[in-house]
Amino acid sequence: MQTLISIEGLTKRYPKSDEFSLKGVSLSIRQGERFGIFGPNGAGKTTLISILCQILTATEGRVRYFIKDREVSFSDIKQHIGFVPQDLALYEGLTAFQNVEYFGALFNLSAKRIRERAAHLFDLLGLSQVANKPVKTFSGGMKRRLNLIVGVMHEPGVLFLDEPTVGVDIQSRTAILDFLNALNREGTSIVYTSHHLDEAERFCDRIAVIDRGQIIALDEIGPLLRQHAAADLTQLLIKLTGKEFRDHV
Amino acid sequence: MYKSFVSIKKELLLLVNDKTGLALMFVMPLLLVLIITVIQDSAFKVVNENKISMLVVNKDEGAEGATLVELLAASGMFDLRLEEDCSFADFQESVASGKTLTGLYLREDFSSRFGEHAAGLSAMIMGEAGFSETLAVVESEAPSVYFMNDPVLQDNYVLSVVNMLNTHLNVMEVSRMLESLYAELGFEELPASVKEALGNNRIQIERVLPKNQRLIPNSTQHNVPAWTIFAMFFMVISLGSNLVLEKATGSFLRLKSMPSSFWWVMLSKQLVFMGVGILQVVFVFGVAMLLFPFLKLPPLILPNNVPGILAVVLVSVFSAVSYALMLGALSRTQEQSNGFGAISIIIFAAIGGVWVPTFVMPEYMKLLSMVSPLNWSLEAFYALFLRGGAWTELWLPLGILLVFSFICQLITFMHLHRNRLI
Repeated sequence: MQTLISIEGLTKRYPKSDEFSLKGVSLSIRQGERFGIFGPNGAGKTTLISILCQILTATEGRVRYFIKDREVSFSDIKQHIGFVPQDLALYEGLTAFQNVEYFGALFNLSAKRIRERAAHLFDLLGLSQVANKPVKTFSGGMKRRLNLIVGVMHEPGVLFLDEPTVGVDIQSRTAILDFLNALNREGTSIVYTSHHLDEAERFCDRIAVIDRGQIIALDEIGPLLRQHAAADLTQLLIKLTGKEFRDHV
Repeated sequence: MYKSFVSIKKELLLLVNDKTGLALMFVMPLLLVLIITVIQDSAFKVVNENKISMLVVNKDEGAEGATLVELLAASGMFDLRLEEDCSFADFQESVASGKTLTGLYLREDFSSRFGEHAAGLSAMIMGEAGFSETLAVVESEAPSVYFMNDPVLQDNYVLSVVNMLNTHLNVMEVSRMLESLYAELGFEELPASVKEALGNNRIQIERVLPKNQRLIPNSTQHNVPAWTIFAMFFMVISLGSNLVLEKATGSFLRLKSMPSSFWWVMLSKQLVFMGVGILQVVFVFGVAMLLFPFLKLPPLILPNNVPGILAVVLVSVFSAVSYALMLGALSRTQEQSNGFGAISIIIFAAIGGVWVPTFVMPEYMKLLSMVSPLNWSLEAFYALFLRGGAWTELWLPLGILLVFSFICQLITFMHLHRNRLI
């Protein structure tokens, strides 16, 4: 597989903080793969995704993007990436369609293209009937699905998802994962974090385990489980990161 | 173009959904303008108008009462309302009910008792000077004039009105006394030269006006812009909350991952709320222009300097939008933004002369009012209404408002940037 994202020596320290959130992270994410980033709370997962989406800037290190074998400058990559944040970044007072219309326009899509994409995606994720209803009337699962639609309106080459299924029922979670698998089959690369490890085990081709800002394991799931004599991903993460609480105040 | 359209549409939809914000921005100023203008109208008239209303009931059967009324009319200080068929009880009722600020009641025997007093005084002078064989003088009771005032008038103001009456009575008394004196001496009437000297040969006082005399607005000229500005700045509740919500829901973070600039978002917000501010002015000013004449309130007359009006409105609205954005950026929650926003605007309004005009404030409060953007906005509107919108009067308040807006915008940008939200 060809390299999609090359990360070299990525370091991040927040202003007024003594600790590094990321310490010399290096890895490659391949074109068309479903890549999972796992670790305990505060490990640096969201920081890493935020840097890859240009929401944060790295203190040190380098990120390179390749689209169709050609390196794309960091400033031009935004049109090619989709980001689905952990927070429901939606306008509750607007309807589902008004939300996708707004974010679609900010991705430079035409009115016609927005209408077409919205109809297609609402249909796929079961929101067609409520497209013109205010988001504030939606259930948690419906909001999560809409959050996902907003992130893929512009057909990104790579999609970053930060806990896309947190707090939703099994029906919505299944719909979201089916949708992501379909996207991936069509060629979209997916970078994903989640605390639902059973779901991640079925979904990801390759994973990185990150703890205290450093990559401590990186491979396909099968070889990693064998290497660490773990029965599943949950056991693997406990073995690698321990049982100590990682809550931050 | 489509991006701008959708961004503005989104802001408008969010605004339309904010019913509380809309009520604060449109209904509140209308009610405040109507209520406060009606309440303050009589107080502004006292401060503002040159003539003070006086009900005169002249029951005098002689000529002296009419002379006193003529002198009062000639003084230019009073707006006289003459009533003949008015009892003393009606007179009292009329002043007490506030229909007129002052009242003067001359009794039927005003002239006769006035004449007796003057004759008595002249007889006393003649006796004391040895021109009269009889030294005993008949004591005469001073003429009675009833004066009454509305309690809203300040004591020092009442005192000056009473002094004015005394001055006229003294002039009349001296004149009558001299006539009696001349009669005692055998003259038929006062010589013309003496009459003329009595009228004219007083010490003249020339009033020198300060170079930059402050013009005082009437109740409409003060209240209409004042409460419109107050409502403009109250958009902090709507716009500030809007910005806090965008930060809290992660919309700003999502925007950072998109190829569109943060400025699209901020620009569309500012454009929509600039439009809201302009609508507020059109709405409240329009109601004042159309409705006030029916309420017998002073009409709102706009100056001819249309560019001046536009400049004052645009700069005032821009400063209100900038302040709201700054508070929205600095606040962590909607409660913070709403609470601090409302309190800060109320304080700015109080010290900025929205409730009580700065020209009646003590000096230190006038100094303090300079920190309020509402004060400078109000000063700009005063320049429009009282000085015809001369640019020489507008540049200072508009310049200060622009500097204030620039600082607010800069703080907004720096704070959002420092918190990695843009």
